[in-house]
Amino acid sequence: MFGRAMHQRRLSPTMLRLVAAVFVLQLLSSAAAIFFLRTQMLDVVRADREDQVIDVRDDLLAAFYSGGRESLDDFIRDQRGSVADPGVFVALAGGSAPALTSNIDFVPAIAPGPRPQSVLVRRGDSATDQEALVLATTLPDGAKLTVGLMGASERRFNLAFAAAIGLTIAVAVALALLSAVVLGVAISSRTHEIAQAAEELAAGNFGMRLAEGQSGDGFDHLRLQMNQMAERIASLVAELGAVSGALAHDLRSPVTRLSAAIDTALARVDEPGAIEALQAARADADGLRAMLETALEISRLEGGTAQDRRVSLDLAAVVADMAELYEPLAEQSGVTMTLDLAPAWIMADRELISRALANAIDNALKYGGTAITLRTCVAEGEAVLEVADNGPGIAPEDRPRVIERFVRLDNARTLPGGGLGLSMVNAVARLHRGRLELGEAAGGGLSLTLHLPR
Amino acid sequence: MVPTPCPGSGGKINSLSWKWLVAGRILLVEDDPQIGDYIARGFAEEGYTVDRAENGRDGLFLATDSQFDVVVLDRMLPGMDGLAVLKALRAAEVETPVIVLSALGSTDDRVAGLTAGADDYLGKPFSFAELLARVQALTRRGTGRQKAQDTVLRCADLELDRLTRQVKRGTRKITLQPREFRLLEYMLLHQGEVVTRTMLLEAVWDYHFDPGTNVIDVHISRLRRKIDDGEEQALFHTVRGAGYRMAAD
Repeated sequence: MFGRAMHQRRLSPTMLRLVAAVFVLQLLSSAAAIFFLRTQMLDVVRADREDQVIDVRDDLLAAFYSGGRESLDDFIRDQRGSVADPGVFVALAGGSAPALTSNIDFVPAIAPGPRPQSVLVRRGDSATDQEALVLATTLPDGAKLTVGLMGASERRFNLAFAAAIGLTIAVAVALALLSAVVLGVAISSRTHEIAQAAEELAAGNFGMRLAEGQSGDGFDHLRLQMNQMAERIASLVAELGAVSGALAHDLRSPVTRLSAAIDTALARVDEPGAIEALQAARADADGLRAMLETALEISRLEGGTAQDRRVSLDLAAVVADMAELYEPLAEQSGVTMTLDLAPAWIMADRELISRALANAIDNALKYGGTAITLRTCVAEGEAVLEVADNGPGIAPEDRPRVIERFVRLDNARTLPGGGLGLSMVNAVARLHRGRLELGEAAGGGLSLTLHLPR
Repeated sequence: MVPTPCPGSGGKINSLSWKWLVAGRILLVEDDPQIGDYIARGFAEEGYTVDRAENGRDGLFLATDSQFDVVVLDRMLPGMDGLAVLKALRAAEVETPVIVLSALGSTDDRVAGLTAGADDYLGKPFSFAELLARVQALTRRGTGRQKAQDTVLRCADLELDRLTRQVKRGTRKITLQPREFRLLEYMLLHQGEVVTRTMLLEAVWDYHFDPGTNVIDVHISRLRRKIDDGEEQALFHTVRGAGYRMAAD
């Protein structure tokens, strides 16, 4: 089929939103992972510290049981064994001996229990309270042993964690962004691939098929459905082609017979009245034939079954040739034809462009007033061919309608023609991937412009 | 093409006046009996002998078996497609001129027909006059037909020099536009034959579609004024329902 205009690729708002959503989700999942990890690690650290507190208490209890209250007092005072840790503090009150503390000013009042508790304590050398894990135990002599561990390590852990989390977030953001973009590009390219296939279909290449994958995802489903759709369209078009071929045969043969009969009659009569009537019938038969042919040609062009006979040509030369053909007729009809031709090279089918141009000039001669301007140029990368006249023009609301097949405006009904001329021009423009625009000419008439991609 | 007679035309040419020029033997391969009858009757009236076949196989057999001046071959035939017949004929080195008739009148089909070895191609519906003109052109039996390689073409006192590109009628020099020159050259090469509007569009302008209006008529009447105005003998003749003929008679 004819050349293709690539759809401009860029990130659409939809695509942008999708990429943003992927990015945010990635970020949230990273944050959730980090939070979970932190909680777990804190739990582990806390369990370790609780064990440490219990160990210290057990050491102290062992000292008490082996040497009584004095041995315990010595153990605490000398900061032996596990009590040597600067984070550990011990308080002993009540019972048979005076109260004793190490590393601490104020002994928190907590009830004896099996597990350490978090409370605020103040160390001797510190001005502020800090968190500590504290465990209270009642000794057999009635004294209360309080053992604690300062929370400095948890705070350090938090600081370290804060530093780590900054780095982690930076990496997560980069990865999230990367994956969002990769995903966006992947989806976008797959969508473009499918859109391009749809474009081929729209252009009439019904033989196109997408490569079907086996993964069974949404894209594969879409490809499969597109292929089935293409198959269906292809079979319908083929059917249509067969029907129109049959129609051509069925309708053209009777029209040929009609023309032949009229010719036979024309050759045998000499009466002027009869000749006149037969010539009128002959003209109508020819009109019928031309309409039939044009209608079938349009079907062929729109069906995309026309052969590609494009060559590199200059629109200006094509227009000059056609203007030369029509110039005597225009002169005879009292119409002046002006050429304003700049070179415009494109790949095009000379026969079809000429045919479209002939239709446009014919249209202008029939309805267009006294002056026709033919213009070619290159504008915005497109070859432009304009046929403008100074006739009554076409009202803006009627313009889309006249391109349809067999539509004729009221003022045209008295003139010969099948209402196919502009449909033909439109079909030729579409076959060249261009478009037909109807507008108002500078002089107030109709401006008919073909825009053809180069 | 609407056969509008030109103003000041030579009037109706009676078929009797040129019947004797063109007689020949024609093979008509056409499955539609009514169209076949019309064509056969038309050629018979023009003095041709017409043999008929109603399907591709019979047509191929007849065409290879005996000598014809022209084969008129329908494109869509039962049994064997027209183009297949044509290819088989050419493969068998039968060089009889073939004109293909077809309801498939698009350019693609025309090109396919010509590539398969047809000498001419005519889309249905056609007028018999158009077919006759083309068959006459193929049989090359027109009066005083001039050769394609002649440098000077003549008709009565009209002279066209293809090298110096000068045109004279007697002693009067005639100035022609390039396209008018080609038009006159074509008319002179086919003098005595009927030349239709579509033949002129194809040969002189290289367009294979019907523009629908009488563009050719206006070109012809312009050229005719330059050649025939003020002369006793008119060389341009309008053939009603068909086209034009250039002749000294």
